[in-house]
Amino acid sequence: MSICQQAPNQFQLYLDNELDSQEKLQLEKHLQNCISCKQIFDQQQYWLTQIRHSKPLYQASANLQSSIEKILDDCPKPYQASAKLHKNIDKLLSNSNLLTFPSKSSIQRLVVAVAATVIILLTSYTYLSSYNSSTSFDEHSEFALMAVNTHIRHQKGKLPLEIKSDSAQDVSTWFLGKVSFSLTLPNYQESSGQEKLYQLEGARLVGFKNDYAAYISYQMQQRPISLIVTANTVALPDGGEKIISKGLTFHCEVIDGLKVISWTDHGLTYALISDLAERGQQSCVVCHTGTKDKDFIDSLKIKS
Amino acid sequence: MDFRQAALEHLDALYGFAMVLTRNRTEAEDLVQETYLRAMRAFGQLMPDSNLKSWLFTIMRNIWRNQLRHIRSRPHFVDIDSNKMDELSDFLLDQHHDPYSLLVRKVERETVQAAIEQLPEHFREIVVLRDLENFSYQQIATILDCPAGTVMSRLARARAQLTLLLSQSLITAQ
Repeated sequence: MSICQQAPNQFQLYLDNELDSQEKLQLEKHLQNCISCKQIFDQQQYWLTQIRHSKPLYQASANLQSSIEKILDDCPKPYQASAKLHKNIDKLLSNSNLLTFPSKSSIQRLVVAVAATVIILLTSYTYLSSYNSSTSFDEHSEFALMAVNTHIRHQKGKLPLEIKSDSAQDVSTWFLGKVSFSLTLPNYQESSGQEKLYQLEGARLVGFKNDYAAYISYQMQQRPISLIVTANTVALPDGGEKIISKGLTFHCEVIDGLKVISWTDHGLTYALISDLAERGQQSCVVCHTGTKDKDFIDSLKIKS
Repeated sequence: MDFRQAALEHLDALYGFAMVLTRNRTEAEDLVQETYLRAMRAFGQLMPDSNLKSWLFTIMRNIWRNQLRHIRSRPHFVDIDSNKMDELSDFLLDQHHDPYSLLVRKVERETVQAAIEQLPEHFREIVVLRDLENFSYQQIATILDCPAGTVMSRLARARAQLTLLLSQSLITAQ
């Protein structure tokens, strides 16, 4: 297809500011040299200008304006925490031994929460391998079902990653502005100096309940692991066998042969999905003996 | 800026969209009020980083689509006379602008308005969302619950038909 045949398709995108800078430059260059394309473009631009200059087509009447103001006046004011509550929470956070970072910002609290996710990731195949399908659980939550469905669809190639990167920082940056919550993936393995046991592959957005959830893909020993994150105002974990550890309640279940762990922490709800089946307890101890997380990991092991 | 103030800013835009959808002043006003009522109830679900205008338009369109399923007859045309009286009085009372350019602008607006009203509904709404309310293709795709590619192709066809109607109006006027 010649440039003149292609150009008219791009006129609309150009006039709607939907072309990237390189495409814009190419089109502008072509229009400087092609009279017939320029004529068609000018015509489109003229009519578009006529349409856009007719705004506003309609204006709300004064009666409608006052009706809407009355409706909005009845809108409940957002709740605000009292100064005393602010002080108590601040005191609690400054005394908390969960925080090992110098700053107490909300983003870093979320980093801690996601770091806990990574620890669970490393040890989950130890705990999950003990599941048998005869264990009876409560009905699966909508969030857990969505998480499993997303994991399966990604494995089948129906949900390709929108960002492919093994950099936690790049993936975290990619999510900025795309999801309605703050999400920071920790560089746990690099910061702890341990050998890499799992590989971050990338991420994408998935639709859930008129919002976007974050989907992050990992590989561990060539086995796929999926992590889904959403705001806890959208979904809360439910069902399954409940395990309480370090103040968090983990919901563990098996759906379609896949192991699912879900929990909520600091405003976010997580679901971790894997198909890890073999026992890995011994290798787990080798990797984590002597680390400060050993107690936490031990609390997730099966008690004999 | 609080929710009340931010939501009120979009009243004219929402009313314009409602008029394009319903082509009836009373139904448009009802649709706008219903939109704000629903928005108020769902306000807690609105994420801090969300685009309020896009959210309000999505609510309005969803209400309209649900209403359409229950409407037996097609929406009838705007009550032209009452609209014209309001516009004429505004025009006569406006002392601060050049009367000729105001009149020209008024005629141009009416011409575009009449042409848009002749379009089928799925063309009307997309022209308004893009060319009058300046939503991006992706935002329009969210409001209309369709792929961005559909937005592009539908907009091209809508504009082609609208251009034809406008050029025919020009010929008629001459």
